[in-house]
Amino acid sequence: MSALPNISNFLRMGRRKAPATPFAARFKTFKSILERNNLALTIMADMSDKLGGEYVFDRRYIEEACERLGDQVFKLISDLSILTPADQAELFAAFERIRQAIDDELSGKRDIPDAPWTMPLSGLTLDHGDAAGKKMAVLGEIRSVLGLNAPEGFVIPTAVCERFLEQNGLHEFIRSRFEGLDGSEAKALNEACREVRERVLDAPFPKEGAKEILRAAEALAKRPDGSHRGLALRSSAWEEDGESTFAGQYASVLNVPFAETVNAVKEVIAGAYAPEAWRYRRDRGFLERETAMAVGCQPMIDSVVSGAMYSYAPFAPEEEAVYVNAAWGLCAPVVDGRSEADAFILERRPPYALRSREIAIKTRMMTASPEKGVALVPAPESKRNAACLNQDQLSRLAEAALRIERYFKRPQDIEWTFDRKDRLIILQSRPLIFREERFSRPRAFDPAASDAEIIFSGKGSTAQRGVAIGRAHLVSRPEDLDDFPDGAILAARHTSPQFARIMGRAHGILTEAGSPAGHMAALAREYRLPSIVGCGPILHLIKEGEVITVDATQNTVYRGVVKELRRYELTEEAVYEDSYEYRLLRRLLGKIAPLGLADPNSPDFAPSFCRTYHDITRYIHERAVRELIRLSETRHGLLGAAAKRLECGVPLDLSVIDLDDEPCPSAKPNVMTKAEACSEPLAAFLEGVISSGMWEAQPVAVDMGSFMASVTRTFGTAPSGTEKIGRNLAVVSRQYMNLNLRLGYHFTLIDAYIGDNINDNALYFRFMGGVTGIMRRSRRARCIAKILDRLDFRVDVRGDMVLGRVKKFHKDRMLAKIRLLGALTAFTRQLDVKLRREAEVDEAAKDFFDKAANMMEERDAGQ
Amino acid sequence: MLDNERPGGEGKKPRILVLDDEPIVVKRLKPAFEKAGYETETFTDSASALARFTQRPFDIVITDLKMEGMDGMAFLEKVKELSPDTGCVIITGFATLDTAKESFHKGAFDFVAKPFKLADILDVTKRLEEKMAGRHEEA
Repeated sequence: MSALPNISNFLRMGRRKAPATPFAARFKTFKSILERNNLALTIMADMSDKLGGEYVFDRRYIEEACERLGDQVFKLISDLSILTPADQAELFAAFERIRQAIDDELSGKRDIPDAPWTMPLSGLTLDHGDAAGKKMAVLGEIRSVLGLNAPEGFVIPTAVCERFLEQNGLHEFIRSRFEGLDGSEAKALNEACREVRERVLDAPFPKEGAKEILRAAEALAKRPDGSHRGLALRSSAWEEDGESTFAGQYASVLNVPFAETVNAVKEVIAGAYAPEAWRYRRDRGFLERETAMAVGCQPMIDSVVSGAMYSYAPFAPEEEAVYVNAAWGLCAPVVDGRSEADAFILERRPPYALRSREIAIKTRMMTASPEKGVALVPAPESKRNAACLNQDQLSRLAEAALRIERYFKRPQDIEWTFDRKDRLIILQSRPLIFREERFSRPRAFDPAASDAEIIFSGKGSTAQRGVAIGRAHLVSRPEDLDDFPDGAILAARHTSPQFARIMGRAHGILTEAGSPAGHMAALAREYRLPSIVGCGPILHLIKEGEVITVDATQNTVYRGVVKELRRYELTEEAVYEDSYEYRLLRRLLGKIAPLGLADPNSPDFAPSFCRTYHDITRYIHERAVRELIRLSETRHGLLGAAAKRLECGVPLDLSVIDLDDEPCPSAKPNVMTKAEACSEPLAAFLEGVISSGMWEAQPVAVDMGSFMASVTRTFGTAPSGTEKIGRNLAVVSRQYMNLNLRLGYHFTLIDAYIGDNINDNALYFRFMGGVTGIMRRSRRARCIAKILDRLDFRVDVRGDMVLGRVKKFHKDRMLAKIRLLGALTAFTRQLDVKLRREAEVDEAAKDFFDKAANMMEERDAGQ
Repeated sequence: MLDNERPGGEGKKPRILVLDDEPIVVKRLKPAFEKAGYETETFTDSASALARFTQRPFDIVITDLKMEGMDGMAFLEKVKELSPDTGCVIITGFATLDTAKESFHKGAFDFVAKPFKLADILDVTKRLEEKMAGRHEEA
């Protein structure tokens, strides 16, 4: 698609004292960077799209995508080396680190990740399963993503437990003791287990680790008054709470004085070699190597009442319900059945009404003993016959259960407790696996055969698969999010990343416009929130507050509750999120997609801080743009390309470099008039700026607040920022324009290629900066995003930066969009100064479309 | 709606055989087809798929192309030999014009490049089913 002159012979890489590379050659490299950057971002978006569940992909896809992406990133670094004289060794090193980590992940070897002696529970997510074991990783996810309470504390990672076993030669000992045992001889197995257990308990813990664990335990146990609370040590093995639940198979040690923590850790590790645990693993085909164990260390909770619950009661499939078991005191005896417990059956929708209950006579309860350990003690007379949960507590339990179930897309078996402050704390959650004989599973679901009224079907794109049932809540203004009801389904005109703040509480999302590759869709996937986007006009079909069923597997929405659908989903044999490929892709994306380098002015915006491929591409893009501007400002850089000043009646202060072999003729050698601009994108842009009539010559009055913000900002930024004000540059050819504009205090970049081949057509728009405080600048960003979104751009807003991309439209429509970008550039020149209130964001966008009405394409204008 | 009858009551939903050496693919396709009402059997190696097909032919076959042992193209040929009426859909991560041409030549109904959307494969299957129903009526 090169519209540039043939200049490859000018590329003289590698020669130190080569003559200055002509501008055109450098610009070609710059173009290549833009293209590769876009390609890399597209691959990343595609990969993240695959997590939504709508796609069937295999391992080959994952490998190939990583390969293609790595290739582009590598070539980007090479391009940057050509463009700038600086040495890119650090960037190559960052690339190599990331590539290696990806290769390790792809090699499929499940390695115990290197880890410190202790890891705080607060930082854990599902991705830490290998280091922290499944149980603690799940708790971390419940805490960080779902916002529920889980105990604080730390985990002693798998790597540490392995080191302990390794250093004491315990692996060999265990192997030799269990060799040849098949579990049929109970006596021999018990004997082997006893020996292994003794060895583990007698073995010394690595000194440094013991010290570190003790220190962390003491800090965790310490109360404000200087006394110490007891600790709970819980197993967290690799596969625990996964497909095989290992429920009750591994040991917990309760109410441990902090000084005895290390011994308790050994107790928990030894618990993996109890006869029941060994049989359980053998029956499920686990290899000895697959039993890496981590140990969670949490403070004992002063429990008033505890228990277990099923989010979806397996006893009565025809009647969906939440089932709660509860007893006074600590949780353990409820779970292992050592004491009597109350049973409650609740509705699965707010307000989670009590359907039935059975109050047991609770003669005993488990409490923490004064010194250490726990004991079953007689329950106080007054409590024996009393229900141990009230409706408020039951509602909170059910709400939490369903929130967790929704997220993990499996019915859950949850252990929980209420402390003295009546806070609900989740102790553990694992999938509840149904047995077929107990739970007859429908073989098919035919929407047409259902009695439920279909509101719409077959519209939109799935951003995240799944089924959601709840009340519809229509959101048209950001304020509508303030009273978002728990468990509701959000219905809105557009996708918006702002919805993130209610995603933890929502059941599902429907939008009229928006793309499954957008920012919101990525967030919905993070929250695993069934979402259909881009459904077209649907809001008028749905009433505020009515209960609807969203089937984001067949893009169908029903009025009322369609239980069969939910049952179908919850009993599906395999949840795709549990598949190895899904977990692999998710882990890989963790090394690829997160953007750490956000602020180009920060000292951290450097190669050594690049942690992901996205960081690298972002860094290179920014560096390349800066380099191009630097080049355009030095005579040295402009060698071989003649710049002409544009005269167009509006003070754009623009220099134009024409790269065509036969540049447009002009009357005066150093000046180009609007009529002489034969670059089609440039001409369209200028037409938009001028004929829209939106260029305001008079500065808008700046109120005191924004003025002060601008003062602070001017002094706060790098001095180089101000030097460049007033120097704008466009590099063009007949079909191409790269425009860098600094107007007032904001910075616009437009890169456009518009030709006859529809597949080559691409338009990239970036807008950032501003004179006022971050609040108004981000309002302006949102206003611009709204406008771009309506013009079919793929929009990405980060703080006050707006990125818009559109491609593969027919030439005429692309040029129309550039004209509108011209109008937008004129319109937004001082927009942030105006946006004093949030409501003005919408008003301003409307104002723009009113003013631009005559420039709109028929289809856009008709909306 | 829990049975396998068509709404009109005429005949069963077609039986589908899915063959792909990547377990994840059959794991995803099986529940999706079952939910849509198809009786579905899945295989990750062509030998056992062929053995099963020989024992009792299927109405529809969805097969991967590149596999150890007998590849998808050879499997397609065998299937067409044993049961010319069986509709075949090729799913592949190595989509080239040549392989597409060859599979159409050998009688495949459609050719779907991996990764694909569940909705797309269900759509193809539905079209195939309609075409087969039409053929039966003509006969």
